[in-house]
Amino acid sequence: MRLSVNGADVFAATGGKEFDPNLPTVVFLHGSGLDHRGWALQTRWFAYHGYSVLAPDLPGHSLSGGEPCASIEVSAAWLSEFLDAADVKAAHIVGHSQGFLTALEFAKNNPDRVLSLTAIGTAAAIPVNQALIDTAKDSAAKAAHMMVNWGFGPGAHNGASAVPGMQPIAIGRAIMSRNPLAVDLQACADYQGGSDAVQALGNIPGCCILADQDKMTPIKAGLKLAEAMGVSPTIIKGFGHMLPIEAPRETLNALRAFISSVQNQAAA
Amino acid sequence: MSNSSFYKPSTIALHTGYSPESDYGSRAVPIYQTTSFAFDDVSDAQSLFNVERGGHIYSRISNPTVAVLEQRLAALEGGSGAICTASGMSALYSTFTTLCSAGDHIVSSAQIYGSTATLLRHTLPRFDIQTDFIPINDAKALEAAIKPNTKLVFCESISNPGMEVSNLPEIARIANAKGIPVVVDATFSTPALCRPIEHGANIVVHSVTKWIGGHGTAIGGAIIDGGNFDWGNGRFPEMTEPFAPYHGMRFWEEFGPNCFAMKVRSEAMRDLGPAMAPQNAFLILQGVETLNLRMQKHVENTVALRDWLLEQDAVTWVNHPELESNASADVAKSLFPNGAGSMLCFGVTGGRAGGTAFVNAVQLSSHLANVGDSRTLVIHPGSTTHSRLDKDALEAAGISEDLIRVSVGLEDIKDIIGDFSKGLKAAARATS
Ligand SMILES: Cc1ncc(COP(=O)(O)O)c(C=O)c1O
Repeated sequence: MRLSVNGADVFAATGGKEFDPNLPTVVFLHGSGLDHRGWALQTRWFAYHGYSVLAPDLPGHSLSGGEPCASIEVSAAWLSEFLDAADVKAAHIVGHSQGFLTALEFAKNNPDRVLSLTAIGTAAAIPVNQALIDTAKDSAAKAAHMMVNWGFGPGAHNGASAVPGMQPIAIGRAIMSRNPLAVDLQACADYQGGSDAVQALGNIPGCCILADQDKMTPIKAGLKLAEAMGVSPTIIKGFGHMLPIEAPRETLNALRAFISSVQNQAAA
Repeated sequence: MSNSSFYKPSTIALHTGYSPESDYGSRAVPIYQTTSFAFDDVSDAQSLFNVERGGHIYSRISNPTVAVLEQRLAALEGGSGAICTASGMSALYSTFTTLCSAGDHIVSSAQIYGSTATLLRHTLPRFDIQTDFIPINDAKALEAAIKPNTKLVFCESISNPGMEVSNLPEIARIANAKGIPVVVDATFSTPALCRPIEHGANIVVHSVTKWIGGHGTAIGGAIIDGGNFDWGNGRFPEMTEPFAPYHGMRFWEEFGPNCFAMKVRSEAMRDLGPAMAPQNAFLILQGVETLNLRMQKHVENTVALRDWLLEQDAVTWVNHPELESNASADVAKSLFPNGAGSMLCFGVTGGRAGGTAFVNAVQLSSHLANVGDSRTLVIHPGSTTHSRLDKDALEAAGISEDLIRVSVGLEDIKDIIGDFSKGLKAAARATS
C-alpha cells in the first residue's frame, strides 16, 4: 500500500491482504538499511489470521520516497504521522534492531497508541563502531558487506535458507547496499534515550525475542533490556542478529504467542 | 571487522546449503526421492500455499536435495538465489519466458550454442518473442539493437565453438543503462573461473550437465538470480504488477533482490514443470564438491594441449580465448585470471576430410555431442551440433568445415597428446 506521509510517498507491505484499519493492527519496523522484505514470513501470517499488517519501508529506504530520518527521535515522530496517514489509532508495534529503538521512543511519547511492544534482536542502546559508520558514508555496499558478515549467524553463513534455493545473506546485502545505511547507523549510535524510555513504558505489554549468536546487538544487552522491560525473553538458539530472516518460523511462533495473548486479554 | 567468516569457494562447494544435524547426521547430502511432502496439519498446509512460510510441497516446485544444489550454486556465483532445472535448455527456456511475453524482444550474441540459437531463432518466434543477433562485443551494435520492447540481452561467457569471450562489464554497462538485464550462459567458465555477477551480469544460467556436474552422468540446468537488477524500473510489469495465481502478489515488492528467482519458481517450475530430479541433483553435487580442483586441472591440460597443437604441422590454426589471434584475448585475460576454460578449437589439414579422419582415428578421446566431461571429448560441429544452422548462420557462429572442437579432460596430458598425434597423422594421410 502507498501512503503520503509528510508529503513523501511511502510504501508499506500489508502481508498480501487489503489493509483494514478496523482490525487489530501489527506494525513491523525494520532495522538499519533493511526494508519490509525482512518481515515477509511474519507479515503474511498475521494478515491472514485476523490482523491488519503494516510493514513500512522507512523514508528513503527501498520503495519509500522522502529523506531518511536522521535520528531515532525523528523516526518516532514520523511513525506517529505514518499511523495517522493509515488511520490507525493504536497498534501492536514490533521492532527489529534499530526498528525497536524507534518503537521504544514512539511508545514513550504515545503510550496510548501502543497495544504491545516487541523487541527482536536488539537492546535499549545500539552503539555502533565509528569505523563502520565511516565505511557506510563512503560506500553503503562495503558497509553492508560488513553488516551481513556480523549480522547473520552460522547457519546463514553456511547457506541455510528458510525459503528453498535462496541466499539470505546475499539478499540482505543487496537491500542494504542501496539504502541509507550511514544515516541509520549514525541514528543508532546517537540514540541515548533508550533506558529512560523503557522506564516510561508503564503497563504496555512487552516481549523480547533474542538470538544467542547475535554479534550486532549481543544477547547480554538484550537480556538487560528484557529485565528492564520486566519480561522473560524468548531466546532463539543457533541464530544471529537477523532473526526475522534467519529464523522466520521461530520468530513468528514467538510473536504469534505473545500478540495473541495480548489480544485475548484485551478481549477478556 | 574482517571478511573471515565468509567461506571461500572451495569450502562453499563442499558445505553450503547442508549441515548434517537435520538428517540423522548423514554427512553426505541425502537424496529425497519423493514426489511430495506431508503437511503437519491443515493450517500448516495453508501457510505453505499462502507463502506464509518457506518449505517443500511437491518436487516439481522444490525438493530438499535440489535446494542444497541451488543454495550452493547461488553462493558460488554470489547470487541471491537459484533454481535448478531438468536441463540447461529448460533453464534457458524458463529464463526467457519468465522475462518475455508475446510481443517482446531479445538481443542475443550471434555466437551461441546451437540449440539455444534454435530456441531463439525458431521456437520463441512461434510465441511472438523475437530475437536480434549481434556481434556481442560491438558496443554500437548492442546499443542500436535495444528496442523499447527488449527484455534481456543474452550472451555466453565463452562462446561455442567460436571461443569468443563476452565483455561482460561493457555489455552490462550498456544494457543496464537502458534498464535491461544481462543474462549470461556461463556453462563454459563455471564459477570456479569467473563469477559473472561480479562483472555486472544480472542472471547466470548454466548447463550443469557440463563442468559443474563434471562427470558426464546427469543432465541438469541452473538459473542464478544476481540480486542486482532494479525490476521496478517500469519495464517489467511481470515483476511489478499483481500475479493472479498468487493472490495478486507483486514479486518485486514482495521479494526485491530475489524476485526473479521466486518468479521462476512460482511460474515456470509450477506451470511448465522442468524440475531437476533429486537423484540428478545428488550426482551434480558430487561434481560441485571438486569443481575448483577439477577446473584447475582442466585448464592446465588445455593450456598444454593448446601449446602442443600450435606446433603441429597438420594443424592449420588453433583457437583458444587466451591466444592473441582470438579477438577477445584481452577480455579473456581480465575476466579469467585463472584460465579461460577447457575448450579449444583447431583446424586440421584436409578440411572436411581431414576433420573426419581425425575424429575417426582418435581412441582415447570420445567422439560425442557433449562438453565438460571428465574425459576428453572431440567433435566436428559442422556435421553434428550445429548441423541445423544454414551456411550464413554457421559463419556467424564462427564455424568452418575443418574445425575440430575439443573439450579437454582430466587424463594425463601425455596420453591426450599421444591420442591427438594419432588423429593428426590420420588427417595428414587423408590429405595426401
Ligand atoms: C553453452 C551451453 N548452454 C546450454 C546447453 C544446453 O544444456 P543441456 O544439454 O543441459 O540442456 C549446452 C549444451 O551443450 C551448452 O553447451
